Formats: sequence, C-alpha cells, structure tokens
Amino acid sequence: MNSSIIRFILGNVLKIEGLLLFLPVIVSGIYAEHEGFYFAAVGVACLLFGFGMTRKKPANQVFYLKEGCITTSLSWILLSFFGSLPFYLSGEIPSFTDAVFETVSGFTTTGASILSNVEGLSHCALFWRSFTHWIGGMGVLVFLIAVIPLSGGSHINLMRAESPGPSVGKLVPKIRYTARILYMIYLAMTIVEVIFLLFGGMKVFDALTISFGTAGTGGFGIRNDSLASYSPYLQWVVTIFMVLFGVNFNAYYLFLFGKMKKALMMEEVRVYFLILLASTGIIFLNILNTCAGIFDALTKSAFQVGSIMTSTGYSSVDFDLWPQASKTILILLMFIGACAGSTGGGIKVSRIIILIKTIVKELNSYIHPKIIRKVKIEGKPVEHEVVRSTNVYFITFMVIFAASLLALSFEGKSFATNFTAVLATINNIGPGLDMVGPAQNFGHFTVLSKYVLIFDMLAGRLELFPLLILFHPEAWKELYTKRFTKSNG
Amino acid sequence: MLKAKNPVNPGLSIIIVGCGKVGTTLIEQLSKEGHDITIIDRNARKVQEIANFYDIMGLAGNGASHNVQLEAGIESADLFIAVTNSDELNLLCCTVAKQVGNCAAIARVRTPDYSSEAGYLREKLGLAMIINPELEASKEAARILYMPTVLEVNSFAHGQAELIKFKIPKDNILGDISVAYLGQNIAPDILICAIERKGEVYIPSGEFHMRAGDIISFVATRKIARDFLEKIGFKTHQVKNTMIIGGGRAAYYLAKQLSTMGISVKIIEKERERCEELSVLLPKAIIINGDGTDPELLKEEGIEYMESFVALTGIDEENILLSLHVEQVSNAKVITKINHFTFKDVINRLDLGSVVYPRYITSEAIIAYVRAKKNSMNSNIETLYHMFDHRVEAIEFKVNESSKVTNIPLMKMSLKKNLLVSFINRNGSILIPSGQDSIQVGDTVMIVTTHTGFKDILDILE
Repeated sequence: MNSSIIRFILGNVLKIEGLLLFLPVIVSGIYAEHEGFYFAAVGVACLLFGFGMTRKKPANQVFYLKEGCITTSLSWILLSFFGSLPFYLSGEIPSFTDAVFETVSGFTTTGASILSNVEGLSHCALFWRSFTHWIGGMGVLVFLIAVIPLSGGSHINLMRAESPGPSVGKLVPKIRYTARILYMIYLAMTIVEVIFLLFGGMKVFDALTISFGTAGTGGFGIRNDSLASYSPYLQWVVTIFMVLFGVNFNAYYLFLFGKMKKALMMEEVRVYFLILLASTGIIFLNILNTCAGIFDALTKSAFQVGSIMTSTGYSSVDFDLWPQASKTILILLMFIGACAGSTGGGIKVSRIIILIKTIVKELNSYIHPKIIRKVKIEGKPVEHEVVRSTNVYFITFMVIFAASLLALSFEGKSFATNFTAVLATINNIGPGLDMVGPAQNFGHFTVLSKYVLIFDMLAGRLELFPLLILFHPEAWKELYTKRFTKSNG
Repeated sequence: MLKAKNPVNPGLSIIIVGCGKVGTTLIEQLSKEGHDITIIDRNARKVQEIANFYDIMGLAGNGASHNVQLEAGIESADLFIAVTNSDELNLLCCTVAKQVGNCAAIARVRTPDYSSEAGYLREKLGLAMIINPELEASKEAARILYMPTVLEVNSFAHGQAELIKFKIPKDNILGDISVAYLGQNIAPDILICAIERKGEVYIPSGEFHMRAGDIISFVATRKIARDFLEKIGFKTHQVKNTMIIGGGRAAYYLAKQLSTMGISVKIIEKERERCEELSVLLPKAIIINGDGTDPELLKEEGIEYMESFVALTGIDEENILLSLHVEQVSNAKVITKINHFTFKDVINRLDLGSVVYPRYITSEAIIAYVRAKKNSMNSNIETLYHMFDHRVEAIEFKVNESSKVTNIPLMKMSLKKNLLVSFINRNGSILIPSGQDSIQVGDTVMIVTTHTGFKDILDILE
C-alpha cells in the first residue's frame, strides 16, 4: 500500500485544521476571552505536524480505493483528536472522552452534546463547536481536493469514501472543479442563510453559528433550549434551509446550469419532499390540540420534521412530550435521512428507494419466477453492483446498530434511551428520546458507552465501510510492506 | 447563471467515444495535459474502471446517440473524437456531433475501402481530421525502409515535407562547416531546423558550425532529402526487398507504398482467403499462404537474403519473437509493430530494430492537433508540433493580413534569437526561404523555435 501518500494527505488535512483553528482565535479576540490562547496553541501544533508530514512529497501519487478509505478514516480521527484538544486543555470540557465526543459529534454533523449548560461555554468554544459542523458537512477531504493540486485522477477514491450516497459521481470531468463547485454552492447557501437570519434581527454571532449548524446539518445550538426561544420567522428560515441542505447538491448544480427540468425530475429529491410533506402533515394533525393554534402547530411540526429528516437535530420544542404517533414518525425519519450527495446523514433517501424497489422486484419474481427486471431510478437501470452494495450497506448498518444497542444496554437505562441514542448517533441526528431527548444530553453515559457512540457517529458519517476497513488486519499489514523499487532503474 | 466553462481552467473540453487502445492512450495523455475529458463507451464496466483511474467523467451508452451526446455536454465541447472499433459508427458519431455542437470532430477510419476517400469524407462531413492508425503506421515503416540509416523520419506540415534526423558520421564533409556555407554551396533546398549536441538543442543561425556527432534535423521533400544525403556522402541504402509477416490492413497499406517505391514485397499470411484477396489487391507483391512463425518457412522463403523484415501480425508477442529470431538469422533491417503499449520498459530493452506503435502514432497526431487547438484559441496558429521532447516548437501560422512582417525581406527584419522561418507554403508549393524572400499575405509560414507561447506571427520579431 502507498503509505507515503496517506501520510502526505493526512499532513495536509492537519495544515487545513491548523489554519481553521485560528478562526475561533479571532472570535476570542473580539470577545476578549483568554480561551483563544488554547486554540492558537493547538493550531500552531497542527501546522507544525502538518508541515512535518508534508515536507517530503511522495514520488508515487497513485492510490486506490483502499488507500482512499484508510486516508479518509484516519484523517477524520486525526481531525477529531486535534479538534478536541482546545476544549480539554482550556478545561471547558474537563473530561477528555467528553471533549472527543463533543468534537466527533461536531465533525460528523451529529449535534449530540454531553454538555448540560451550553451557555456556560466561551464564545470561541461555541464558535469552534458549530464551525466543526460546517467543515464536516461537506467534508474536509473534499475541501482538500478543491484547494490542493494533487496529480493523477485516482482522487475520486477520496471523495467517494467521504461523500455520502450509494454512487458518487462527478459534476464536471475534473474532480477538482467538482469539489470547488460543491463548496461554492455550500458557501453561497450558508451566506444567504446568514443574511436571512440577520434580517430577522438575530445577532451576528448567533446567525453565524446557527447557519453553520444548519449548513452541515449538524445541530449544535448555542442556547440550552436549542432554537425554541427564537422568533417564528427565524425558525422558519432555519426550517427551510435545513430542508434545502438535505437536498442532493447535484440538483443545485443542474439548477445553476439551467437544466431546471432535469433538476426537478430527480426522483430522489421528489421522494424526499414527498416524505417531508407527508410527515409534516401527519404530525401537524397529531399535535394540533396541544399547540397554541394552527400556525404554531405548523411551525413546530415542520421544524421538527425538517430537523430530524435532514439529520440536523435542532429542536424548537421538547418532542419527547409529543404523542406516540408523532414520536414514531420522527424515529422512522431518523432511519431514512436526507438525500445522497447532501450534507445530511441517515441511510439516505436514494438507498431507501433502491431497497423498496428491490422488494417489489423480489415480489414480482415470486409471481413470475423467470422474470428479468432491473431496478430503475429515473427510468434508468441501476447497476447490479449498486443494488448489491445498498443491500449490504443496510445489513451492515443493522449489525452495527444491534451491536451498539447491546453494548449500551448494560448500563440499565430504558430501551427508548438506548435505542434512540444509537439511532441518533449512527444517523448523525443529535437528540433522541427519553434520557437523550432534546431537553437532555449524552453526558450521563459511561466512558465505554461514549466510545461506542463515537464509533457510531464516525461510522455513520463515513458510511460504514471506510471506517470498518481499519479493522481489517490486511489493511495494516499492507501499510507496512515496502514498495518495490529498483536501485538502478 | 454560471458560465459552463471554468475561466481559470485553460483546458479544452473534449469528448472521446470508445475506450479501446487508442482511446485509453488519448485519455492518459490528454488528462495529463489538463483538459476536461468526458468518455463514452457502451461497456459500463470499462468506463467505470477508467473513470476510477483518470480524472475524467465517464458515461456508458451509445456515442452516436443524440441524447447521450447531450448528456456528455456536446453543446459546450470543443473537440469530439470517435475512436470505436467501427468506422461507420465513428463517422456517424461525428456527423451527429457536428449537428448539435460547435466542435471540431475527429474520426478514426481504417478500412482500406474508405482510406482513398478520406479527404472527400473529411471535407463533406466537415471533420477536422480523419485518422487511420494502420495507414500511419505503414507510412512510418515505409519511411524507415526508404532511408534505413537515418535516425528518424517524420512527416511534417501535413505530409508536404519530411523532417529527417541523422547523426553526422566521422570525417563527413559536414563536420566543421557553417550552416550558411552549407546552404550557399551544397544544398540550397534543405533547411536545418535544429541541432542537438550533447543533450542541448540549438536552433542554428548561419554562423553555426556543425561537428561530427551532432544530430541534425532538417526539413525537405523526400526526393531532395535523399539527394542531399547522397551528396554529402551519407549512405541511405534504400532496401531492395522486404518480407512482411501478417496480411492485415497495415500490411496492405505498407505493401502498396513499398511497391510504388520500387521495393519488392513478400507477404506471408496464414489465412488462405485473405491471401487471395491480397493477391488481387496487390498484383506486384508475392503472397505466401503459410504460418509466418514457422522458422523453416521463413528460411524457405529466403529470410537470410532479405534486406528488411516487418512483423505486422496482430499479436505483439509473435511480432517480438519473430523480430528477435530474424535478428539472429539475417542482416535484415527489422521493423516490429507493437499494438499494445504496455510493458514499454521491457520492449525498450529488446533488440527489436525499429518499433512502430500504431496506437501511439495515432494518439500523437490527435494530441498535436489538440495542442495546436488549445494554443490557437486566441491566436491564428494553424498547427503546432513539439520536437526534441517539447524543447522545440514548430508552429504554423496563417498570414491573413498585411503587417510588420509582410513584404519585407527576412534578412531586414530583426528576428528573435533561436528562431527560424523554416518554410513558406505559397499556394500549395513549399518555399524554403532565403534572406531575400519575404512573407506575403495568404502564405502559411512555419516557424521553428525554442521559445514557447507564440500566439501571432508578429511574435517572431524581437
């Protein structure tokens, strides 16, 4: 395996993180907070490590899927480790495990917090917490591809390992410009949201952090009650943008290039909106009598549905107190998740479509045992490879889910707590029900359980296999085998 | 609305249909040079494999389909290249592409039926280029057999002239005379473009003194070149006879050219039917029906007395072994055709005589076109060649209007150093300019230079 290119890319990831760590330093300067020092120190450390690792450019820049997966997983672990240091060193989060949990939750855009009093954090820590969502949403390696010239075309393997969805394609022939276009759309939409929020009278700091959380579909709030205390206008702005960030970015690309019709024809996006509307409708009717009026019920149901389905995890109300039917719908939405190619988590709408269509296909084969029929999306046959990997994805998802559930069950907490804790982390949602509900937090779990949930968050964000490959013994064995080089050509 | 083309990206957007040998060589080269490439092939798996390895976009489907082409972005494409294994499909692809997009189209057409009509097809279908790898390969083989002792013979300026590279032997009259003296007294009709000495490349001025061991590149027509080489006592030794193994398309093209050059040709082909076809198509050639890989047959057909030998079977391994064998048993000048370009490192170590790569020649021709197109996006460059590993550029300009460089004798202009006006194409005839000649409106002028980035003919001035 090409271990030098892995080192090189990891070094570049650290350099980027080092630079980004100076953003909270600026914030601390504005609010005159001494915690900024720790961010600056860790930032410098990242830069030093980064430059050390990238000093020697690897001669062989070719890499394959396995290198792509390992690089991606390792860089996310590295990012989380260094990202958590400022919290830990400054003492704002005294436990190391908690600091890592919080950072992983940030980068994976989960938004599950161990903090009971968010408002007690310094501004720069709050900013960094929310900013990790923004980086993690589109992915740090996609960013790396966009800014650092890497030769060779095999870097699609990096993007494939990091971007969500059953089949990752390019928008334009060059991966670099694909990555740039994605980040452009991402950045532009974030800025538009900030403007809308400022327009509604939100403070600049709040508008920025809330927008980061929305854009990455993360869900870290900066107030203890998440978004409940903001005005209905602001809640609607956030609702709409959460939904928009859950749409496949390819649709925006098509939109921008004037292929409106094609964008509107995207089956995944249509199904996504259909599920959103249907769920909002049912929950709206279900909670109508407990709310202050039709508008209030609509605001709350739309906000929660948008927040849960896109895997953001903001809350404007404690939905743990809602009727059973509404809670169940939210749990189902957690499974489904957002569109592939968006910043959202979950199993992804496109995978659900493929799975359901496979069921129909299977049923057909019971009626006509010799039928030949392919699963189609938008009228085009889906490659057998994609169908197969989707099925395996679902099974693997369930296996990890079950194993994590078992691991958590030893703590003796309620089934709803354990089930939704795993569900909310592996799908990168944030809050669950009962003891991990929107008004609660994850701080009460034991260290071991927290590491299980950290694993779930990473596995969910990287779509299982890139992370699981780290546990394959051969991957490590290959990492240490020397490449054949001839001494005199 | 965003513009479809990236302003910071200077590459062309190119669509390639067909991922065969030539297709993949093109993808490899062109993606390295930073173009935006989209490939179309019917085989989805192959497309996926290639898209995983190169920075390109893949599309599975029929390249001649209008919808598939639209999806590949034909509307904003600059260049469309069809290199599937079917001539007719290639032509259809290009015809459809020309209807939708405003792009230049290149098609591979290799059946001999069409080869004589290539010019007609190109003009009527509005194609930029028709390429025929077998024909190009056979042309290269013929050039080698025509002058087996020179280092390299390349066609230049659309085949109007040839660029010949040779090494000055010891005690040759070229040793220690100046380029100007050569032009005035020995050979006025040839033009020395570049001289390579100890790894350095010079564009010689008149005062440049040549030495034994220099590698000289000069441009001339074929006849004049041979006369010149004979005059300076450099033996060219055109071969008298040749034996070709394999009777495919390349063999047909080669035999046809060699026959007109007065070289007697013997073709050994396995398949009886093909032999009969060839015997009709090539009345002058001797067609032998038999297994060319049988050493006894080769001996029987007089391999020991042959002056040249060309291995043109469709299987590389056979060609390589045949050539190695012939090197052992005879003094023939050996030419080996290699179809697949893999294991280049091994092939280079073998003593295979001259090696001809059809797929490489084809992709080189297309790449030369693409480079010229890229360079000519804001200029009036017609074509652009790279020589000596990109160290020297030969650029062809079309002179459309009168300017500072027209109607003035070349000697009165202050030209840049390391630059040469190598020839002027006036109304279809080639003129090797002397100091008194001048550039006229309507001429096509070929410049050879070590400078890069020329955009206009005015760039030749100091």
